[in-house]
Amino acid sequence: MSNANVGGVYDHIIQEVINAVRVDFEENGVDDGVLDELKKGWQHKLSQLNVAQFPWDPKPEPPPPAPPVQASAPPPAPAQQSQQQTPSNYTQATLSPQTSAQPASLPGGPHPNGNGVAIKPDPGMLKNDPVIKQEPGLANAQGPPGHPVYNNTANPGRGMAAQRAAQALESQYGPRAAASINAIHMGSQINTAQQGQRPSQAPQQINQQHMNQQQMNQQQMNQQHMNLQQMNQQQMNHQQQMNHQQQMNQQQYRQGIMQQRVQPQQGPHPGASNGLPAAQVDGSGDDFEGILMQRGPDGRPVEMGRVEIDSIIHGQIAARAKQMEGGGLMLPFKEATRHRGTASKKDRTGNPSQVDGPEDDFKDEDLDDDAINSDLDDPDDDKDDDEDDDDSMGHMMLCMYDKVQRVKNKWKCTLKDGVLTVNGREYVFHKATGEYEW
Amino acid sequence: MATSGTNFYDLYRHGSLGVTLTDALDDLISAERIDPQLAIKVLTQFDRIVAESLQEKVKARLTFKGSLDTYRFCDEVWTFLIKNVTFKMDNGSNAVHADKVKIVSCSAKRTDEK
Repeated sequence: MSNANVGGVYDHIIQEVINAVRVDFEENGVDDGVLDELKKGWQHKLSQLNVAQFPWDPKPEPPPPAPPVQASAPPPAPAQQSQQQTPSNYTQATLSPQTSAQPASLPGGPHPNGNGVAIKPDPGMLKNDPVIKQEPGLANAQGPPGHPVYNNTANPGRGMAAQRAAQALESQYGPRAAASINAIHMGSQINTAQQGQRPSQAPQQINQQHMNQQQMNQQQMNQQHMNLQQMNQQQMNHQQQMNHQQQMNQQQYRQGIMQQRVQPQQGPHPGASNGLPAAQVDGSGDDFEGILMQRGPDGRPVEMGRVEIDSIIHGQIAARAKQMEGGGLMLPFKEATRHRGTASKKDRTGNPSQVDGPEDDFKDEDLDDDAINSDLDDPDDDKDDDEDDDDSMGHMMLCMYDKVQRVKNKWKCTLKDGVLTVNGREYVFHKATGEYEW
Repeated sequence: MATSGTNFYDLYRHGSLGVTLTDALDDLISAERIDPQLAIKVLTQFDRIVAESLQEKVKARLTFKGSLDTYRFCDEVWTFLIKNVTFKMDNGSNAVHADKVKIVSCSAKRTDEK
């Protein structure tokens, strides 16, 4: 089967139809010319589809080619116009691509705002100054040698404690303690430099340990007072009643704390006494508090404060928690939507506040209000719907079936009297057999 | 074989021949040259003539193979969506390949019975 006979068959069909409806046309009082017009219009439209070679198209028959020309009196005029307008069209065609090419090339180049939006862990965003607040475990020997206490590789906690001890001694005893302070500094220095020679430095070690113990005691006492004070404050807040006794207690504790604080001058941080080796040194300058940078609206890197970083982390954790409980399924609807609203608002209005890498995928799902995490919600399923779009004159076969058989996933069917449109060509067949696997 | 012309499928109206006929009829209707009822009569005749012509005038045979993607049988109409199809003509001419073909097929028995 080729599509050579398609033209003949179609021509036959057209003739048959026209002849069959001629009576109907006459009965309706419609002029014969209209019927002729219908035939020509039909043939012309069919020729435009260019699905096969039709007998009325080629030259052999002068009358058939004539109909398209005659029937489409308007079409020739546009054709001439288009020929006349070709020069101007050319200039437009040659000019417009150039003008449009410049904006088109922009996306390839550096986007001015794109960098602000892109949330990538830029190495330059991390503040790499020597004044970075270094965590004890991460401390390295990059710091300036003038501050050996902060630069203690072997035992940072001890180094800080030594500094504190030195300051305490200085404040308590003034110049008289200079010798001891020097000893402490020496000890810490030697600790850093000569880790293996500890036994030889026993006196300093003992001295330092003694100071550490002293400080630990102070810290513990201080912490106890602080805890009591906090408990009292909480009680007061909860009960909302001014109890005179408690007030008195509070005052007493405050006085006690003040007395405790007078001695060491530099009050140890409450959190430092939880068994961890001085996890945080507070009170240093705020100028290097931020360790992360973000780009401001004007593109300049802006240091992020601790509060901002905390809010970012909080947002992340909240989003993660929401994801774990099914995108707000377990929450009351009001609450779920409120949370989602605030979270997304924060992400959109605030500048790209994420600095921990590319955006995670679950955020997009979170924004979908109707998501119920069902397979039916999967947007990927929408791809299957394209089977139903009968792309008008696309690949299609219209036919009758004699038999359709199936054995497991193997299908066999016998079709007849079909019209097949494929790859822009049309075929007709009397009988067709198809075998396909599902 | 029915003679009234009402017992034929309007299936082929969705082919190129039927679409172009419908377009031409629409043009005439919008130009108020013919009645819509007349156009419906034309299409009814078309249904009959296409079916008869394909039965009588066409002798070609065709085989095709492919992988069936979707099948559907509803109201006595089979619909197949076949991917990677290869059509072979009985005259030995070159095979035709298509990525995707939709087959809409009505029962051949119904027209024969009536």
